Amino acid sequence: MDALLNGLFALADPYLLMLLFAATLGGVLVGALPGLNATTGVALLLPFTITMEPIPAIAILTAIYCAATFAGAITAILINTPGTSASATTCLDGYPLAQRGEAGRALGMAAVSSTIGGIISVVCLMAAAPLLARAAYNFAPPEYFALTVFGLSMLATIGDGSPVKNIISGAFGILVATVGIDLLTSVERFTFGLNELSEGIPFVPVMIGVFGISELLVQADNLHVERKQVVMKSIRLPNMNDYRKVWKTILRSSGIGTFIGILPAEGATVASMIGYNEAKRWSKTPEEFGHGSLEGIAGSEAANNSATGGAMVPTLALGIPGSPTAAVILAGLMVHGLRPGPTMFTDQADFAYAIFWSMLLVNILFFFIGLWGAKIFARVTFVPIQILWPIVFIFSIVGAYALEQSMMDVWIAVGSGILGFYMRRYGFSVVPMAIGLILGGMLETRLGQSMVMLDEKWWLMLNRPLSLFFFVLTILALFGPPVWDRIIKYRLKRKVAGK
Amino acid sequence: MQPFVDVSKHTSNRTVFRYLIPFGIIAFCVLAYFLSTQFDRVPPILKRGMQPSDFPQLIIGLIIILSVWLIFRDNDKTPKRMTKVVHLTMGLLVGFLIIADIDLFLGLGLFATMLTILWGERRAWAIILVGLFVPFSVFFLFDSIFEVRFPRGLLTNIWYG
Repeated sequence: MDALLNGLFALADPYLLMLLFAATLGGVLVGALPGLNATTGVALLLPFTITMEPIPAIAILTAIYCAATFAGAITAILINTPGTSASATTCLDGYPLAQRGEAGRALGMAAVSSTIGGIISVVCLMAAAPLLARAAYNFAPPEYFALTVFGLSMLATIGDGSPVKNIISGAFGILVATVGIDLLTSVERFTFGLNELSEGIPFVPVMIGVFGISELLVQADNLHVERKQVVMKSIRLPNMNDYRKVWKTILRSSGIGTFIGILPAEGATVASMIGYNEAKRWSKTPEEFGHGSLEGIAGSEAANNSATGGAMVPTLALGIPGSPTAAVILAGLMVHGLRPGPTMFTDQADFAYAIFWSMLLVNILFFFIGLWGAKIFARVTFVPIQILWPIVFIFSIVGAYALEQSMMDVWIAVGSGILGFYMRRYGFSVVPMAIGLILGGMLETRLGQSMVMLDEKWWLMLNRPLSLFFFVLTILALFGPPVWDRIIKYRLKRKVAGK
Repeated sequence: MQPFVDVSKHTSNRTVFRYLIPFGIIAFCVLAYFLSTQFDRVPPILKRGMQPSDFPQLIIGLIIILSVWLIFRDNDKTPKRMTKVVHLTMGLLVGFLIIADIDLFLGLGLFATMLTILWGERRAWAIILVGLFVPFSVFFLFDSIFEVRFPRGLLTNIWYG
């Protein structure tokens, strides 16, 4: 209780409040700008927070996360281009509404649903994270190893690419994490005699490269894409009749989004898709979906914003990122010398609760900023990319350099950017690679500790009920979806043959 | 915003793609495995459960198995040919790295100027903004407020003396 109140009092600092306001504004801008999303925004901002105290540093990263996730709806509704992939389903109903001259109503519904979803998820975060941390407090290295393996197995389902490619990408990230001096034995690995590599490949330049510079190359391939904006006459908030129609959808999607967010690696994109589908399934007027349904917007937006709070649960309580953006925030926690995991709620409880309260505040702030500034943000979407992206590049490079003040980091950022572009081009998502890089060191350390503990008999991990539970979950996460697909296809085939 | 994996622009020609990528990954893994065999080994009392090469080799093995799976089961199609602008942008990135060795901000300014022109910008104010004003502002912001010391070079030496 003390920590809860101390966290709240930490927000009374005017400097922090000003930073949160600026970060929320910046987050909405990031979400509305073409090509930028929450993950890229957080990765680009991370080096700027290095000189700050941990609370303001992490609070502004989470503010960018929450606000950018909401702002994706602005471009989805006004120009039929989701500002972030999590808002893809918002286009389906938001744009048709905008074409009918009801852009303001659509944006209003997106803002209200996002705010409610965000608040519900932060309340769940406040309740669930300490409980989860307490449950994990007695985990020994084998349990942690099994949990990390489970977290990594969830990478298979990230994005719309092949699960096998996702796992290859994640494994590659883990392999990259082995570069440098092995902390347990002090043996150099893959350093090629370069002193700069002895401490390993740093997270931040890689994040900047794979999320920022690779996107610059993707944008170079999309220069011909034209964006047409729907005229927005006024912002009109949803009326009581609209609320009556959608409140159940908002609550349901908030629950779905929070749950999906809590699952390791699953983020707002999956949440919004499931939230939208469930909204349609439970709707009394499913035929309106895809033609401008307010329920569709509410279902998608409440789910994607509630996933942000959900994603922070495993990130803070277990040190396993709940989404791609949470992975970058996790890197930020590590850079600031914080140790996410069960001890966070005993050793750094004030910090954890200050972050929760700041997320709650940001969810309220972006409602007002998003609504009052929607017309301006809509214009922002038309910043020419030939001006925007060279500026993003300058900030990316200076950010990559500033952390360690090393030119090697600039090389790593540019190299990761080119590698990330080719990976994306050939269907390998860069998100698993980034998460693998962050979790790789932890995975190896815990495997090493488990081997010592179990007298080098790794199979004894299966004798421990919790480890076994996580390994079974891993198998289900990896093989469940393809097996289920086959069963469905087989049933369909039999049905067709029967007819 | 593009999704992280963009499969929307794929065409039907996939033979080269289907085999080249997995075999390329396997070749990389073989090389990495060979390098891992060169790591020092530690005596049993110091190894703490694993030799330094064990974990990387485990991961390399996993990548090889999955790449073999890709050869037989991958159904993705080859992406469409990259535009000339992408090739030129990559060329600019390489040029940036070379010039950054002489002076980081000279490299940034030239890269930003060339990129904005390459991507179709012709307005003088816009070119000056991204090529001159932004790099200078960023330099002074980081130098004065964040106290970042940039590497000495042709231009930064003028400021640092």
